[in-house]
Amino acid sequence: MATTSVPLTKPTAPVLAGARSESQWAIVLRRFRKHRMAMISLGALMVVFLASLLAPVLAPFPRDATGLAPRFSPPLTAYNGQMHWLGTDHVGRDFFTRLLYAARITLSISFFAATLATLIGMTLGALAGYFRGLVDSIVMRILEFMASIPDFPILLIVASILASRPESLPIPRFVLDAMGALMLLSPVGNERAQVVVIIVVLTAFGWISAARLMRGMVLSVRERDFIEATRALGASNARIILRHVVPNAFPPLVVSYTLSLAGALTAETALSFLGIGITDPTPTWGNMLQFATNFMLTDPWVPLIPGLPVVIASLAFNFIGDGLRDALDPRLKM
Amino acid sequence: MANYLVRRFILVFVMAFVVSLASFVLLYSAPGGPLEQLVALQSTTRRPDPDEIERIMKRYDLDLNLFVRYLRWLTGHPRGPIVIGGQEVFGDLQVGCLKEGQARLVYPDGRVVEINCAKPVFLRDLADRPTGNGVIRLDFGRSQQLAREQPVIELIESRLGNTLLLMGLSTFFAIALSIPIGIYSAVKQYSRFDYFFTTLTFFGSGMPTLFTGVMGILVFALLFQRLGLPYLPAGLVESNRDAVVPLLGTIKAGSFADRLWHLILPVAVLTFFNLAGWTRFIRSSMLEVLRQDYVRTARAKGVVERLVILKHALRNALIPFVTLLAGVLPTLFGGAIITESVFNWSGIGRLFINALVASDYPVAIAYVLISTFLTLIGFILSDVLYTVVDPRIRLS
Repeated sequence: MATTSVPLTKPTAPVLAGARSESQWAIVLRRFRKHRMAMISLGALMVVFLASLLAPVLAPFPRDATGLAPRFSPPLTAYNGQMHWLGTDHVGRDFFTRLLYAARITLSISFFAATLATLIGMTLGALAGYFRGLVDSIVMRILEFMASIPDFPILLIVASILASRPESLPIPRFVLDAMGALMLLSPVGNERAQVVVIIVVLTAFGWISAARLMRGMVLSVRERDFIEATRALGASNARIILRHVVPNAFPPLVVSYTLSLAGALTAETALSFLGIGITDPTPTWGNMLQFATNFMLTDPWVPLIPGLPVVIASLAFNFIGDGLRDALDPRLKM
Repeated sequence: MANYLVRRFILVFVMAFVVSLASFVLLYSAPGGPLEQLVALQSTTRRPDPDEIERIMKRYDLDLNLFVRYLRWLTGHPRGPIVIGGQEVFGDLQVGCLKEGQARLVYPDGRVVEINCAKPVFLRDLADRPTGNGVIRLDFGRSQQLAREQPVIELIESRLGNTLLLMGLSTFFAIALSIPIGIYSAVKQYSRFDYFFTTLTFFGSGMPTLFTGVMGILVFALLFQRLGLPYLPAGLVESNRDAVVPLLGTIKAGSFADRLWHLILPVAVLTFFNLAGWTRFIRSSMLEVLRQDYVRTARAKGVVERLVILKHALRNALIPFVTLLAGVLPTLFGGAIITESVFNWSGIGRLFINALVASDYPVAIAYVLISTFLTLIGFILSDVLYTVVDPRIRLS
């Protein structure tokens, strides 16, 4: 009984203390770091992000300036002592410069659209799942309705109406100013309004999945004993939702948020590509790709310039989502 | 079952109605509306006079109230005052306004009414207006911009086949490929095959169809042609003239081979996109089923492994897949819009985009209505299919 064949390792205090002090997020981080593709993706995204942040510093030309170089100069064309790293586009603007500014615009739009959509979806889903009743039936009807109709055409309709007449949406001045400053847009014309409109449209159609996810999680969590116990201790509804229900529903939401970043990015690209989203002088990867494909029979390398960043960013968000999914799942041994 | 189907069909019509109303109101109540473009297109002079604008407003019902306009679009009525026993009723009902402003109306019986409209339109005035049969009789009106005065239904009819062909073929190939790949990945979990396809499908789901389409054209159409390899066409439904392709010989324009040749690339792009998610779905669904007790029982009583997988496991693994297929229809319509735009594919998705860009609202609304309708029918089909795959489920 006292004999054991298992060689015991010395239980040293520091290790034990270290293990105990490792928070949940530290564990997730440690597990996430093991996911090689997710880490590569994170690195790639950081590069794109930094480049877009430093756009005004890195860009050799003003955003919309048509230089002296002929249109569709191939990459690494030096003209008049100035280097066009990626060549020039169909009107002779520097591709590298526009790519950087476009990254800033596209990434900001995806960030705001995905974040707002997730926050709205979370709130509505949590309220619906927790309180049931009228809120729940309204939210559920909307969810069912949106799931059973092709919502992309309707999104296109709304975007086409609003993006061509962005002044018809009352946007507070400070929002315009903030967005304009963030994405380095010119205050003249409706460039800024157009960007805000696209964010609003993508948010309006993007909250559905987050709401459905959150509602499902809340429904399963709210019946658990510890919620009952919390309520018995006298916690208010707000406290139960914010401190107990939401944290428990958090892991899948983090994953869905990452994926919705990819979704918003591709949706924005698709809109601009179809000529319904953000229109020309404002650069986005989508409208650059649209112009590029028009000329690809003669200059086949052109679509790659705006196309590759789209794919890299989209894949990166997907890989990070995948890595987070694995890292957040405690059942999975890594 | 019959009861269920009847109820579902009623629901389909109600939902299609709601969607059509929503898109109608959205499009026509937007500031500006189609009037600017119509005037620009239709007027002969640079600065159209007010009469010209009024004519155009009358022609396209733009002077009517939104509700009356929608009713006329949906049912083809009202077409004028209601006549009961030779007596006109509601002839004086104001249904629209040609020109904003103030006006005094003096009725025959001596009443005087002040209204906020300089040139009111009454129900009586609708009698001498051309009117369609209404959407309920499949008359979607006439195109305003893309193909002037051509009935929308003709435009849709000539392109619907192309879209359904694209969607049908790509769905078929995605199912035909994802099921065997999913099964094999699950059975040989963590094998090299599994890793390869899990990674490949991951790339497929992460890459937007926009990019795979453009890349497909770059590589298989442009690059292959330059290298003298058998290449694929860069777009369109069929060629305008005969093409000479290395190894394949001459492909006659408009022939069956030509259409097939043009289908390959767009179908492949859509298939690749769907394949990704579906293979993963089948794989995880199979993995779950393979762990079940009845699979172990089947193995224990000595059933051949192939039968265990195909009969005991696969049949159960496919049940959730059927629901997935129904939910994919809305996405499929969305994906088709982008693929058709990339490949200049003459389908209803591209027609819709062109209509939106050109503010040709009757065409755009017809597309939304038809795609919604088809999607909802797809849901009913999948429900029925569900009872076939899973006899435990009864529709009621």
